[in-house]
Amino acid sequence: MLCSLKRSTLKVENMEPDLIQNSVTIETYDDYDFGPKLKRLKVTDNVRELQTVLRDRNTNRSDFIFYADRLIRLVVEEGLNQLPYKNCEVITPTGQPYKGLQYEKGNCGVSIMRSGSAMEQGLRDCCRSIRIGKILAYSDEDTHDAKVVYAKLPQDVDQRKVLLMYPIISSGNTVMKAVNILKDHKVLEENIILLNLFATPTAVKALIKLFPEMTILTSEIHPVAPNHFGQKYFGN
Amino acid sequence: MSASDSSVSGEDHEQDDIVYLEELHPNSKSSNKTPTKTPSSPLKFSQNPPKFSHGRKKSRAGGGGSQKSGRVYHSGLRTLYTAGRPPWYDSHGQLKEPFVIGVCGGSASGKTTVARKIIEALDVQWVSLLSMDSFYKVLSEKEHQQALENEYNFDHPDAFDFRLLIDTLKRLKEGKNVTVPVYNFITHARDEHSKTIYGANVVIFEGIMAFVNKELLQLMDMKIFVDTDSDIRLARRLKRDISERARDLEGVLKQYNKFVKPAFEHYIEPSMSSADIIVPRGGENQVAINLIVMHVHKQLQERGFKLRSKLLNSGNVQCLSVPHTLHVLEQTPQVHGLHTFIRNKDTPRDEFIFYSKRLMRLLFEYAISMLPHKKVVVETSQGVSYEGKRLDAKKICGVSILRAGETMEQALCKVCKNISLGKILVQTNLDTMEPELHYLRLPKDIKESHVMLMDATVATGAAAMMAIRVLLDHDVPEENITLLSLLMADTGVHSVAYAFPKVNIVTTAVDKEVNEKFHILPGIGNFGDRYFGTDFLPD
Repeated sequence: MLCSLKRSTLKVENMEPDLIQNSVTIETYDDYDFGPKLKRLKVTDNVRELQTVLRDRNTNRSDFIFYADRLIRLVVEEGLNQLPYKNCEVITPTGQPYKGLQYEKGNCGVSIMRSGSAMEQGLRDCCRSIRIGKILAYSDEDTHDAKVVYAKLPQDVDQRKVLLMYPIISSGNTVMKAVNILKDHKVLEENIILLNLFATPTAVKALIKLFPEMTILTSEIHPVAPNHFGQKYFGN
Repeated sequence: MSASDSSVSGEDHEQDDIVYLEELHPNSKSSNKTPTKTPSSPLKFSQNPPKFSHGRKKSRAGGGGSQKSGRVYHSGLRTLYTAGRPPWYDSHGQLKEPFVIGVCGGSASGKTTVARKIIEALDVQWVSLLSMDSFYKVLSEKEHQQALENEYNFDHPDAFDFRLLIDTLKRLKEGKNVTVPVYNFITHARDEHSKTIYGANVVIFEGIMAFVNKELLQLMDMKIFVDTDSDIRLARRLKRDISERARDLEGVLKQYNKFVKPAFEHYIEPSMSSADIIVPRGGENQVAINLIVMHVHKQLQERGFKLRSKLLNSGNVQCLSVPHTLHVLEQTPQVHGLHTFIRNKDTPRDEFIFYSKRLMRLLFEYAISMLPHKKVVVETSQGVSYEGKRLDAKKICGVSILRAGETMEQALCKVCKNISLGKILVQTNLDTMEPELHYLRLPKDIKESHVMLMDATVATGAAAMMAIRVLLDHDVPEENITLLSLLMADTGVHSVAYAFPKVNIVTTAVDKEVNEKFHILPGIGNFGDRYFGTDFLPD
């Protein structure tokens, strides 16, 4: 099932049942082609460090939040690059023209609670007055079945580009439910940009198959998702 | 940066402040209109009457003059800083060796008067005065007792720590900062608090045994012997010790006959043969001083002036290739959009601040990705191990070039946890349009750190080069310096890269031109003014 491109360098120590089937190695997906709708944050040494700290079980909570906020900010900045803009010219204080560009209005953020709300501040730090909707999706720990229990979105959400925020995607069920809610509110699939930190290849493939027009931005695709994110970020 | 920005905020900079008292600024356009009012401790011993005397001037007696420096703060003499240090390196970033003048002469011959007159007439803004008095040896308990009874011979070469003296002068000559001991004439030991002196364009070194040591002599570019008649010297000494220091005639004469006079005959007078110039009658000899000053001027001119215009017109700019040390942030639509906001002259100030901060954050994340990283394997919370990377730099610290560079500190703190920050104030002298160093405060462990040097904009590169030079003088290896700015001009990039080929230059955009006012075109305007709102003009 796993399509390998790279000889893996990761070794499983505590073997979990669903990992054993691929022997002791885990494939990495740094170079795998998921199609044009998948965007990745450029993995510099710096980004790799952020990921390393977030995955490291020995990271204390204060460091975890600090590094998570940094990675979130980078993902958000990259996500904003996906938004439409037009060219314009401005005059600098020295009286010279400068060929610049201007972003179009009509964007909003939607976070999938609870871990998605960790990303709200990152978005707020980049776009001060952006409207942010919330979707609370509860996912059953055993069945991984997700249920939406609450959704509050901007009234004209169907007219906007939506930055959907969810940091960890392991099965993709929660995101699927949330996207369906957006679609119920008449948001066009191509207007959704999913901002994500860590995703599993399975989930990414499933999401692309289900919502081929949606843009997905992530920092890393890896079979093991750091599922402790929400717990560690919020401290419970 | 604007020139009105002369005062520096800060609380506990006591030690730094003392430092700058050592430098004399006779030509300062600051509040110190009369050079003689310059609160330079070596020259104004009378303001701090010593409690105990053995015949040497001891303005520094009583422990680094903390009381005195306190007075300096409150009297607002901080404006001394407004006469900053002009470049002490050429447009290639190489050091211009300071001109070292040695002044020797018998006790009470008027060495300091001559030194002061030279400084006044020199008209050079950055002069360090080094006195041999700081280099007396630390006395043992027994010697200390002898000294109390006027039995210890301070007028002998053995009383001085020549090794330390030579090392100090050598370092000063290399343009590096030195710590000069503060000799306490009461305990005859060195105070815990030493003074830091920075290399200068001219270093004047004075002392009775200045010409006794051969190695020391070689460090001097000019040797002046102040030859004052021994009767006059004795008369001055009697007057000074009796009326100013309340000592009895007999004791003064005893010390004079036992130590001072033989020392002059044995060591000081013979050393006159090493001198280049002998100045009879000391400070009164205006003709001699004028001749000396003319010569020093000529020497200084040969060592290079006018750095900034030289940078602008220098051949460095013509090198067409982009220096390999230059790294420009990837021009994504966001970066481009942020630039549009901050370059637009009509952007309101709160938006200007907001968007420039976003850009700074991206700049720092980008700069950090260029630091060395090492591979690590960590155990994850999911029970599998993960091969990742961690930063391999031992320590990172930030140094901002005031004032505009300071705006970047916050973004750095958001990216590097618990980072220590230093500051360097470089101002443009509006008369000469030259950058001048006014203030610096650097983290203690800076030489082991990777230094993120920040300035919002780099036009000619003159301020940045001065700051880099300061870091190098503090023993930071060149390859451990990253220069970060939001916007740079081609000229600045090339000048910095040419002078300091190992310094990493990281910026978010490079503009082509610099105008005659040293503003970048099309540029961003005066970043500091726009950020701090000091460009406000009432209609």
